[in-house]
Amino acid sequence: MRDKRGETAGQVVIHAVLLTFALVAILPFVWMFCASFKTYVEVINSRALLPEMWSLDNYVEITGRIGFVRAFQNSGSIAIPATIAIIVTSTAAGYVFAKYQFPGKELIFRLILSTMMVPFTVAIIPLFIAMSDIGLVNTLRGIILTSLCSTFGIFLMRQAIETIPNDYIDAARIDGAGEAWILRQVIVPLAGSAIATLAVFTFLGQWDSYLWPSIMLKSSKNHTIPIVLAGMRSLYSARYNVWAAGSMLTVIPVMLMFSVAQKQFIGGLSMAGLKG
Amino acid sequence: MDMARVGKVVRKPQFRFGLLVLVPILAWYVMLSFRTNVMAVIDYNLLHPEQSAYVGLAHFRTIFEGYKLFWVAGLNTLKYSALINAIMLPLSLALAYCLANVARGRGAYQWALFLPVVVSMAAVALLFRSLMDPDVGIFNRLLTSVGLPRSRWLTGPKSALVSVVLVDTWKAAGVYIVLLAAGLLNIPAQLYDAAKVDGASAFQSFARITLPLLRHTLTLVVVLITIGSLQVYVSALILTEGGPGTATTMISQFVVSEAFTNMRFGLASAASLVLFGVILIITMFQLRLMRTSWEY
Repeated sequence: MRDKRGETAGQVVIHAVLLTFALVAILPFVWMFCASFKTYVEVINSRALLPEMWSLDNYVEITGRIGFVRAFQNSGSIAIPATIAIIVTSTAAGYVFAKYQFPGKELIFRLILSTMMVPFTVAIIPLFIAMSDIGLVNTLRGIILTSLCSTFGIFLMRQAIETIPNDYIDAARIDGAGEAWILRQVIVPLAGSAIATLAVFTFLGQWDSYLWPSIMLKSSKNHTIPIVLAGMRSLYSARYNVWAAGSMLTVIPVMLMFSVAQKQFIGGLSMAGLKG
Repeated sequence: MDMARVGKVVRKPQFRFGLLVLVPILAWYVMLSFRTNVMAVIDYNLLHPEQSAYVGLAHFRTIFEGYKLFWVAGLNTLKYSALINAIMLPLSLALAYCLANVARGRGAYQWALFLPVVVSMAAVALLFRSLMDPDVGIFNRLLTSVGLPRSRWLTGPKSALVSVVLVDTWKAAGVYIVLLAAGLLNIPAQLYDAAKVDGASAFQSFARITLPLLRHTLTLVVVLITIGSLQVYVSALILTEGGPGTATTMISQFVVSEAFTNMRFGLASAASLVLFGVILIITMFQLRLMRTSWEY
């Protein structure tokens, strides 16, 4: 039925296109990896991709001089609690919006969704003033407080929990289970993949976040990794080998996480796209 | 009857649990997210906020009439948005088509194409500043080695905006490729087989089957690209600081620096509301446009 030879030729073209763009996506990282072990002179002069000598000097320099370790701790102590909080609030709210019936439910849900339309620059000024009123400017707690709920998370979890049959919930209720027990023992296991998706996206979003932390966290002891990286532009002006080392330290944990959890990233995104 | 009794029994704990969940969440939204930006119509007094005077539309008048940078940033943002739509959409559609139709290795290709999405924009910006360095960068070395003229990339008044667009396309295309590929894979294969039996050309089946059935995903992608690009901030800031001159100064950067460097909260708020309005109008227009075309 199908033209076998045309099919094969088509596959060759498809592989060629994909391979080209896959290389375009990856090669800059390979360059960065190699540059992070080079000397400055080598980065700007040498035509070879691989370094002549694999030296850790750049890494020693940044971890020693500009609180990179501190920044890692700061980024982690924002991203981890924020991710946990968003999973808890999104799952609980998603359950209530998916399975409860009460007057005004859709209105409240739509009000919450409408915040996704508002550009962050509109929210940022009143948010900053609110933080300054309660004395949380320049604190990591301030960032965490503004990251306790996620509209995208509530939307995603409602979508996922709506697909769970009511029978499971009713059966548990008839057996006398409390709502919190049902949420933990019935909903969470059945919505596991959506929760994993939400977790990886939230963690990444927090780990990579720049705009809001750069406004909130003024003193250098509170700086997160993206702020420290951006600061390297002036601190290590055009020293691309040092930049590369700093960037490597930042992207390695994220790339490992993505490689392990690729299914959660891609699957979750596809699901949200098809239903959204 | 039975269900009604069950309903009565379960109503109470559900009611309490619902309140327990929703009240704190709504309180959080009211306190942090639903705050209306009233700064735009008052003259905010930093030291004595309660003494701030109402000034009506004065801030809007100031940015529209007295602020050249606002217009420059607005125009840059619109140009950036149009360019990135024009490049990102066909590129990600083509790659999604390849990804959806490749017989082997989809996972590996997807991994590679999605990799730039997950890393931090700050790191990506440093990386491309290095690669695009006009004197020692590898991009210019590659250009000269194939006999093409060198470019000023991020430091040229003309090339800077395009360079930022290229970096952002490289960084974000993975999201749209994955979304479009999922949409393509969602189209039943029988439709294409039937079209083939009826003697349809590849172009015909693309125009008559793929495009109409992909409409939902395409709309989502166009709206996401547009909303995201009109709010562009981090990439332009770290790649160029808005320069050279004002060649890549975007509205979001204008808002943030007016507010937090110059402490003019009123002007900044007015500018941010203008951005919000523009985003709303363009998105509504796109949604309308995409809905009325190929309806089945």
